[in-house]
Amino acid sequence: MATSTDETLRTDAGARRAAGPRLPDIPGPLETLGSAWRRLRKMSTALLLLFALAAASVVATVIPQAPVTPQSVAQWRAGTAGPGTTVASGLDALSLFDVFGSWWFAVLVGLLFTSLTGCLLPRYAAFARVARRPPAAGRNLERLSHAQTVITELAPEAALAAAERLLARRRFRRRRIGWQLAAERGHWREGGSLLFHTAFYLLLLGAVVGKAFGFTGQVTIPEGSSFAETRIAYDAAEPGRWWDLSDHRGFVVTLDDFDVSYFPNFTPRDFVSTVTIAEQGESVRTETVRVNHPLHHRGMNLYQSGFGMAPHIIVRAGDQVLLDERFMLSPASGQNVWTGTAKVKFDDPSQQIALDLALAPDAELREGQPVLGPDPAPRNPVLVGSLYFGELGLERPVPPSQFRRSGPPVDTAMLRPGKTAQLAQGSLSVEFVDLGYWSGLQVSHQPGRRILLAGALLLLVGLVPSLYSYRRRIWVEVAPHRTGSRVTLAGVALQRKTAFAEEFATLAQVLRRQLDAHPAASQEHPH
Amino acid sequence: MVNESLAQTSNTLFNVAFVGYIVAMVAYFFRLAFTQVTAGEGGASSAAGGRGSAKGEGGASSAAGGRGSDERAVAGTAVGRRVGHVGTVLASAAWLVHLGSVVARGMAAGRVPWANMYEYSSILALGAVIVGLLVVQRRFGYGHLVGFVLAAAVLSMTSGLLLFTEAGPVVPALNSYWIKIHVAAMMSASSIFIVGFVATALYLVKDTAERRTADRSGAAFAGSTVGAAHVQAPADARPEGYEADAGAPGESGGAGVAGTLVQREALSPVLFPLIPATVVAAFALVVWRAPGTAILAGSVAALLGTASWYAVPYLPPAARLDNLAYRTIAFAFPVLTFGVMAGAIWAEESWGRYWGWDPKETGSFFTWVLYAAYLHARSTHGWRGRRAGWIGGTAFVALMITYYAVNLWIVGLHSYAGV
Ligand code: HEM
Repeated sequence: MATSTDETLRTDAGARRAAGPRLPDIPGPLETLGSAWRRLRKMSTALLLLFALAAASVVATVIPQAPVTPQSVAQWRAGTAGPGTTVASGLDALSLFDVFGSWWFAVLVGLLFTSLTGCLLPRYAAFARVARRPPAAGRNLERLSHAQTVITELAPEAALAAAERLLARRRFRRRRIGWQLAAERGHWREGGSLLFHTAFYLLLLGAVVGKAFGFTGQVTIPEGSSFAETRIAYDAAEPGRWWDLSDHRGFVVTLDDFDVSYFPNFTPRDFVSTVTIAEQGESVRTETVRVNHPLHHRGMNLYQSGFGMAPHIIVRAGDQVLLDERFMLSPASGQNVWTGTAKVKFDDPSQQIALDLALAPDAELREGQPVLGPDPAPRNPVLVGSLYFGELGLERPVPPSQFRRSGPPVDTAMLRPGKTAQLAQGSLSVEFVDLGYWSGLQVSHQPGRRILLAGALLLLVGLVPSLYSYRRRIWVEVAPHRTGSRVTLAGVALQRKTAFAEEFATLAQVLRRQLDAHPAASQEHPH
Repeated sequence: MVNESLAQTSNTLFNVAFVGYIVAMVAYFFRLAFTQVTAGEGGASSAAGGRGSAKGEGGASSAAGGRGSDERAVAGTAVGRRVGHVGTVLASAAWLVHLGSVVARGMAAGRVPWANMYEYSSILALGAVIVGLLVVQRRFGYGHLVGFVLAAAVLSMTSGLLLFTEAGPVVPALNSYWIKIHVAAMMSASSIFIVGFVATALYLVKDTAERRTADRSGAAFAGSTVGAAHVQAPADARPEGYEADAGAPGESGGAGVAGTLVQREALSPVLFPLIPATVVAAFALVVWRAPGTAILAGSVAALLGTASWYAVPYLPPAARLDNLAYRTIAFAFPVLTFGVMAGAIWAEESWGRYWGWDPKETGSFFTWVLYAAYLHARSTHGWRGRRAGWIGGTAFVALMITYYAVNLWIVGLHSYAGV
C-alpha cells in the first residue's frame, strides 16, 4: 500500500531538510505533470478531495439550491430574502445556487476520480500479483512475533497433514514447501476494497447516463382529461442532453378517476390516480398510480406527485359559453382553501373578464358568509367566485393570478355544487357543475438505474470484506523428534494485530489438541 | 385506529426506562468514582469488570498480573463493584422496559414504531444502550464507559420528549415497506455511531492526557499507546480486552496509579465541563429555542465533561479507545451505506428520482463522506490518530445535524417526517 512508502519518503525528506537548506529544482513541464499525478495518487489527496466534497455539500445545505427550492432562490435573487442582491449575484457568479450542477463541482468530482484511478491502477496490479503468488516460505519461524513449538507422537507427515486440514477448514490458502506448510488468508480485504472503489465508476457512469439520456417532466391533469406523452404536454420538463423529442413515447394517458382519503386527524391516508393508457387510439391498460407505487409503461415511469381540487365551472354571457372546464385550483397556504384565477375573456384588452376562485371543502354559510371547517374532504364545499372586469392585462405573459386589480371585485358569487349564480346584474352566469380533482404526475425515464443498482450492490459486496477481513500468514514446520515430531507454528498479522494474538492462541490450542488426539491411540498401545 | 391504552402504556414504559437509565448512569459513574478512591489508597488497578480478567485467563499475561494485585483490587473496590453491578442490572432492566415501550407504540399505531422524530430518538437510545451493554461492556470489557453511553441515550430520549408526538398513522409517502428497510438501517447505524462517538471523544480526551503526561515526564514515555498505529509489539502480545478497565492505569508507560492520576492534572477541570455544556446548550437553543431545556441539557453535558475529566486515569489506554471507536464505526459504516442506498431506492419509488440533493440527502451524503474520510484517515500516514479522531467526531456532529436540524428547520421533501 502506498502508505508505507509515504512514510519512508517523508523521513527521507525530513533528513534532507535537517541536513541544510537546498535550492529547489526547477521542474520541467513533464516533471510537473508527473509530480502532480504522484500527488493526486496519494491517499491524503483523496482525503482532502473528500473534505472538499463535504464542504460543497455544507454550502448546498446553507444556501438554497435552485433545483430543490427554486422559490427561495428567486427570493434571494430578488433580495426579498437572504443576504441581499449583491451577495446573491456573487453567489450566482460562483454557481452557488446550483452547487451540484456547477462546473467546479464537476472539476472536484473529476479530480477525485482521477485520484481514484491513480490510486487503483497500481493496486490492481499489485493485487493481481499478490493474489496469484502462492504463500511464501517462512524462515526463522521461532523468531516471529507469534510462534509456538510443540512435541507430538505423530509422524512428521501425519502432523503436517493434520495442520493442513486445520488450516483448510479455516479457509487458508496453503502451500507445501518441503517440511513446511505456508498458509495465507485475507486477500478479500484488498480484493473487496478494489471492488468497492471500482463500484464508484459504475455509480458515476449510471448517474451520467441517467442525466444524459433521461427525462423528467411534470403534468397536471383534471379528472376526465388526457395528455399525450409528448414534450408539449408537460408543465415542466428536464430532458437530458441526449434525450430527443422523438424519444417521447406518444401514448395517451387519461385520468379516469382520482381519489383521496384522509385519516381522522385530516392528514391524507392515500391518494390514488386511476389512469388508462392508450396506444394509437386503443386502450392498452387501466391501472392505479399511488404514492410509492409508480406505474411503468414502455420505459416511462409515472409517479403520483400531487393533487388538488378541480371544480367544473361554466361561465356564460347570455347563451354564449365563455368558459367550460374543470378548473385546477392550488392549495392556499395555511388555510383549508383552494384558490385559482380563471381567465374568462381576454381577446379585447379593454373588456377582459377574470374570475378569482376560492373553494372551501368544508364550509357553512352563515349570513351569507362562509365559515370554514377543518375537514379537507369536500363534504360540504362552497365555491366563491369574484368577478373582475375591464383592463386587466390578462394578455401579458404573467401568471393569471397577477392580473391588474384596481379595486374590489365587481361582483361575488357563492355556490354549492350544481348551482348557478347570476353576476353583474345577470349579464354573466356562473355554474358550479360539480367538484372533482386534478392529479399531478411525474413522468420520467431513467436509463441509468440498472447501472446504479449494480454499482450499489458491488459497493456493498466489496465494502464488507474490505472492512472485516484481515490478512494473516501462518507457517507450520515439522521435524522428526524421537519417535514423533517437533511442530512449530508461527504467524504474522498484517492488520488488526491485537486481535491476532487471540486468534493465534486459539489456533495453537486447537492444533495442539489435534496433534495429541490422533496419535493418542498409538500412545495407549503398550509397546 | 390508534389503540389509546396501548399508546398510554408505551408512554409510561418510556418514562420508566428514562428514569431507569438515569439511575443506572449514576450507578456507573459512582462505580467510576469509587475506582479512584481505592486505586488511590491501595494502588490496585480498579473495579475490574469481571469479564476483563476472565478473558485473560487463556494467556500467560494474566498470570503475570499476579494474584496479589487481583486480590487487592477486589478488596478495595467492593462498594464500587457492587454499585456497578446494580448499574448493569438496572440498565438491562430499563432496556427491556424501553423495548416494551417501543413495541407497544408500534402496536398502538398499527405500524412500525419509527415514523417520527420522537420514535427515532427513542429507538436511537434503545440501540445505543444495547450496543453499550453487549459490545462495550461484555465484548470489550470496558464497563467504565457504559455510563457515558447511557448519558448519550438519556440525551437522545430527552430530545425525543421535546419532539413528542402522539401515536398516529403516517402520511402516504411514508407508507412503504422501504420505511422498514431504510429507516431501520439508518437507525441501527446511528445508534452504533453514538457508541463510536463516545469512544472517539473519550479517546481524544485520554490521548491528550497521555500526551501531556508524557511531555511532563520526558521522553521516557516512548512506549506510548497514542494512536492505534503506534501500538507496539508488547501490547500486541496480550489478548485483546485483557486489560479492560483493570489494566488501564498499569499500561500507561508503567507509571502505575500515581502516574496515571497525573493524567487528570494534565487536563483543565474548567474547560472539560465548559466546552460540552456550551456546545450542547447552543445546540438546544438553536434547534429548539428553549432556554430551560438548554440549561438542563447544558448541565448534563457539564456533568459529563466533568465525569470524563475525572475518569481519565481509569479509561482504557488511548489506543484501545481508538480501536473501539474504529471497530464500532467500521461496523456501522456499511450499514449506513446500505441505508443511504435503500433511501435512494425508496426516493425513486415515491418521488420518481433516486437522488435530488434535497437537504436531507445532502446531509446524509455529507455524513457518509466524513465517515469514509475517517476510515481513510485511519489508514493514512499523517492522519491517523488524533486527526482521524477529530474527523470521526465531526462526522458524528454531521450525523446529528442531518438528523435533527434538517428535519426541524430546512424545507425539503423530507420535512414531512418533521416532528
Ligand atoms: C471516491 C471516494 C472514495 C471513497 C468514498 C472511499 C472509501 C473508502 C473506504 C470506506 C475504505 C475502507 C477503509 C478501510 O479499509 O479502513 C477505503 C479504503 C481505501 N481507500 Fe478509498 N475511497 C475513496 C477514494 C479513494 C481514493 C481516491 C484513493 C486513492 C488515493 C483511495 C484509497 C484507498 C485505500 C488505499 C484504501 C485501503 C485502506 C485500508 O485497507 O485500510 N480511496 N476507501
